[in-house]
Amino acid sequence: MDKIQATKQLLLERLASLDAPKSILRAPELKALFDELSKLPSEQRGELGRAVNLLRQELEQAAAEREGQAETLPPIDVTAPFDINALRPSLLPADQGSIHPLMAELEYILDIFYRMGFTAIESRQIDDDYHMFESLNFPAGHPARDDYDTFMTEEGLIAPAHTSTMQNRVLKMLKTNLTNGEPIAAVIPGRVFRNEDVDVTHEHTFYQLEGIYVDKGINVGNLVAVLRAFMSEYFGQELKAKLQPFYFPFTEPSFEFAIERPAALRKGDTEADMWLELLGCGMIHPNVLTMAGIDPAVYTGFAWGGGIERLVLMKYGIEDIRHFESAKLSFLRQFA
Amino acid sequence: MKVSLNLAQYYSNVDLKSIPADELVKRVGAQLGAVEEAIDWGKRYDGIYVAKVVSCQPHPDSDHMHVCMVDDGGVVTDVDRNADGLVQVVCGAPNVAEGQIVAWLSPGCTVPETADQTEPFVLGSRQLRGVTSNGMIGSARELGLADEHEGILILSVDQFESVEEAARLMHPGTPFKQLLGLDDLIIDCENKMFTHRPDCFGNLGVARELAGISGLKFVSPDWYLQPLEVATNDNGINLQIKNDIPKLVPRFMAQSVSGVKVMPGPLWQQASLSRVGIRPINNLVDWSNYYMHLTGQPTHAFDYDKLLKVGGGDSVTLGPRLAKEGEQLKLLGGKVINLDPADMVICANDVPVGLAGVMGGADTEVDESTTRIVIECATFDMYTIRRSSMRHGLFTDAVTRYNKGQSPWQNPIVLAKLVSDIVAQTGGQTGACHDFKADDLKTNQPIRLSPDFINQRLGSSLNIDELHELLVRVEMTVEKVYDDLSVTAPWWRMDIEIPEDIVEEVGRLYGFDKLPVVLPRRSAKAADRDLLQDAKSLVRGSLAKAGANEVLTYSFVHGDLITKAGQDTKEAYQLRNALSPELQYYRLTLTPSLVAQMHPNLKAGYDQFALFEINKTHVKMHGLNDENVPAELNMIALCYVAGEKTAKQQPGAAFYHARRLLDQLAHGFGLTLRYEPLPNDPPYQVCKPFDWQRSALVYDDASGEFIGQIGEYTANLRRNFKLPPHSAGFEISLEALAKCRRALPYRSASRFPSTTQDITLEADSTKTHGEILASLRRAAADQSDYQIDIEPLSSFRPDTPDKVRHSFRLVVGHPQHTLKTEEANQLLSRIESAVGGDCGATRI
Repeated sequence: MDKIQATKQLLLERLASLDAPKSILRAPELKALFDELSKLPSEQRGELGRAVNLLRQELEQAAAEREGQAETLPPIDVTAPFDINALRPSLLPADQGSIHPLMAELEYILDIFYRMGFTAIESRQIDDDYHMFESLNFPAGHPARDDYDTFMTEEGLIAPAHTSTMQNRVLKMLKTNLTNGEPIAAVIPGRVFRNEDVDVTHEHTFYQLEGIYVDKGINVGNLVAVLRAFMSEYFGQELKAKLQPFYFPFTEPSFEFAIERPAALRKGDTEADMWLELLGCGMIHPNVLTMAGIDPAVYTGFAWGGGIERLVLMKYGIEDIRHFESAKLSFLRQFA
Repeated sequence: MKVSLNLAQYYSNVDLKSIPADELVKRVGAQLGAVEEAIDWGKRYDGIYVAKVVSCQPHPDSDHMHVCMVDDGGVVTDVDRNADGLVQVVCGAPNVAEGQIVAWLSPGCTVPETADQTEPFVLGSRQLRGVTSNGMIGSARELGLADEHEGILILSVDQFESVEEAARLMHPGTPFKQLLGLDDLIIDCENKMFTHRPDCFGNLGVARELAGISGLKFVSPDWYLQPLEVATNDNGINLQIKNDIPKLVPRFMAQSVSGVKVMPGPLWQQASLSRVGIRPINNLVDWSNYYMHLTGQPTHAFDYDKLLKVGGGDSVTLGPRLAKEGEQLKLLGGKVINLDPADMVICANDVPVGLAGVMGGADTEVDESTTRIVIECATFDMYTIRRSSMRHGLFTDAVTRYNKGQSPWQNPIVLAKLVSDIVAQTGGQTGACHDFKADDLKTNQPIRLSPDFINQRLGSSLNIDELHELLVRVEMTVEKVYDDLSVTAPWWRMDIEIPEDIVEEVGRLYGFDKLPVVLPRRSAKAADRDLLQDAKSLVRGSLAKAGANEVLTYSFVHGDLITKAGQDTKEAYQLRNALSPELQYYRLTLTPSLVAQMHPNLKAGYDQFALFEINKTHVKMHGLNDENVPAELNMIALCYVAGEKTAKQQPGAAFYHARRLLDQLAHGFGLTLRYEPLPNDPPYQVCKPFDWQRSALVYDDASGEFIGQIGEYTANLRRNFKLPPHSAGFEISLEALAKCRRALPYRSASRFPSTTQDITLEADSTKTHGEILASLRRAAADQSDYQIDIEPLSSFRPDTPDKVRHSFRLVVGHPQHTLKTEEANQLLSRIESAVGGDCGATRI
């Protein structure tokens, strides 16, 4: 027993000077005690065994305490721009810095729309049933309203599956434009969510850009013209465009808008290779205008929405959509 | 939705087949909906011919094979023939015999059954136990027509839809694809295109649209416009119906047939179903599927005797109700499901025998012994069907159609046609037709609108006659009322309700691609800029230039990530239908997501870096905004680390590296920041990851606006996320930054040179650098005649304990004259004594 006390004393002293406190548990003195124990006949092990185990536990605790102390650092003077006895830190090398490619693309796109006369308003990331469904003319019981498709919180709030969740707000916000003889012209970028398993081409979290344009006498031909003008600017060349009839509750008629795939991005020559389905669009449903307090007999408008990821994937030939949210420097610094 | 052009043509009054296939497919894409694939079905049958087995001898070296000589009419050129021009084919099927008319697959052609496989099987001329076989004689399965593989397909007159057709085609040399409608164009339309078009989930509906968009006026077959008259009598089947849930089942019909024979359906029908991806089963199921595919209306056939057995008693009352807790149902195929009280079930005498609109039950399934059947044809609530389908993971063709909302007016039409075709084929006696019909079934009302209304929305200039012509093509009832149109949609178009729906129809039928494309006109007023977007752009540029890397991380995080960062999940909005625990909570702040990404990058070999993210956060504590939705904060977070080696080369706490980056960022916004020590354990989630003794709250010095938080992380957090000690970061409000944004500070150049002086002040270590600097600035400001710029240089701990020496660089000038050394020295000593009195610092 004395021997155990002595070992304990010795090891605790040694612990105080160790860089890796846990290594005390591998001390030869402790091992020697265990060896001794194993040589005793089993009926004699009891008391000594308990003592040795206790010692081990005490050392373990002491090591953990010391580790904690080592980790917690002493207070510093946070009002100073530099540490005592140290230089003012320099910035990191500028050539390592990078902007996320999705965000860079979004800025580029917004700039085109600014120039075309659209203002930008960012979309929300948590919203309610009214904005996401009710104000967008989704009938009660519509599949999107149940949680197989859309993320919902315990409170029944909604993680928007599309930036259209902002339509009612933006229409209301910019309604005075109409009385002033100006159109409502806005783009709405934002992060949206879908209850979808993730793979090379699918993400549950992604970015969309919504657009709305309302004025007197706005028609389907205007919709095509605006989208085509954007695409020509974005791709830097005149491209053929086509509308394919589609269905959305909040537009009537509704379309998928496809453009001729720029030759550089074409893989084959089938009809599917020729066209690039870029976004959904349509004439804003009269019920949607009415719910925003705009008279659909006087004003008409169009809206569209499309993903940003695909444009960036294509632009750089990125093979896996999951890179975007991976925060891997090996990916990010390629855009430095 | 796979559409067969042959089937569409069969039920059309107009000639669809004369339109070139690629032209038709293009029109469908532009005027109906996206086409996934257009398949030239006949191509699969190239090289296959009708042939006659002229002789059939046992194979000399096999106990089951035969050596046949077949007559192909001599149409195949590249094949060995005997003196009589016949071709030798070895056949292993037990049913082959002399005189049969068969399908011969010549050498070089692909076995149709394998056409969709990755390696389709191509035939040749090969030796089978020493005898050459040129190609093969095909079975129905090998020909991709049916599952049957009992033997080769033997062609007979009754397999054709008409005797004339059989007589015309059933002779050697006819290309096989000319039979059974195989020379078909299959247009696979994307299902999502027809979300609101239940009629287009029937081949007939698509046929009508094909006509409409091709400028042809479609007229539906008579049996589709009025239910056929079906003779009924007492057939010994005692059937009643009962509807407990009329709100969910607005129409429920059932009719019995006795004396039916269950057998394989006719080959032409099997071939039709195979082409559109439906597996032939038996004649009854095939008829049901055939009309479902044609009209979009699912039906279900029950075995009446099994209904009796399952339901008990000597009569059957069939009808829908909601399932009860604890009830089970064995489905076709044998899977047993636990029913949910929200499921609709079809019951026989209150015993569930089918999951309504989704799938029938196994215990009442039609099989070879069935002679008495009950056919159900109903309209179910589309959303209830969808939820049952999702709940039980059952995605049947019936669900695909029911969940688009089929018209209840179609029920009697399909039931009558189905019953009469079954009776015509198998014989039998039809019982009374039972029909539950809700009182409030919707009927389409006339919609009145002007040509102007349409033209204004399309940009077109169509006159009233042109509009009339377009709409009647798809069987709309159109009347001219003065200068307006009054349009009534047919009963199968339940989606047409408002004038804008008619605008869509016109646009589609006319062709959206023909509309004039004109940019809208607007004034030259500049669009408003969004200050937050501008601020983000500035942040990105500034931090990237400072060497940091922008990341995006998920808004949804694991509860563990929140607690590991010292935060409280109770403050986080929780998803009730998360894909996985990884994505269960809205994150409270951005910092935990960032710190989680540091270790993987360190491990990947990056030794010193900073990641930043601009995104939104939500904390319950912030409550709801005036729209009654959670307050949403726009935040910028950054996390900086250096590995052990790099940290040693650059002495000083990581805090100051993070601060350097933040100061730089603020500078871009024209701001000077003030850093204030953090009180112990602040109640904000954004503070939780930080070690309060090595953290600061950050303010815009000029306005006093709170910007955010900066600091090193708690030891716990560092341990949890494997961060090295040399790590720090900040999380600040983008909104506050944008709000305080001002022009970069500028001082006009003085005409007189200034003097630069470094001074070092020694103070108690309890005095913060901030206090001394503030004191120095105050003292400098008091010397209002002079321009004095102060820049902190460094701080050193001298040998004297409890003291710190702070060095500053002062650039001193006067707007009206050049400072002489004397004057500068006097100025400095005035400042020095003011600071000395203020905070006890003495100049060294």
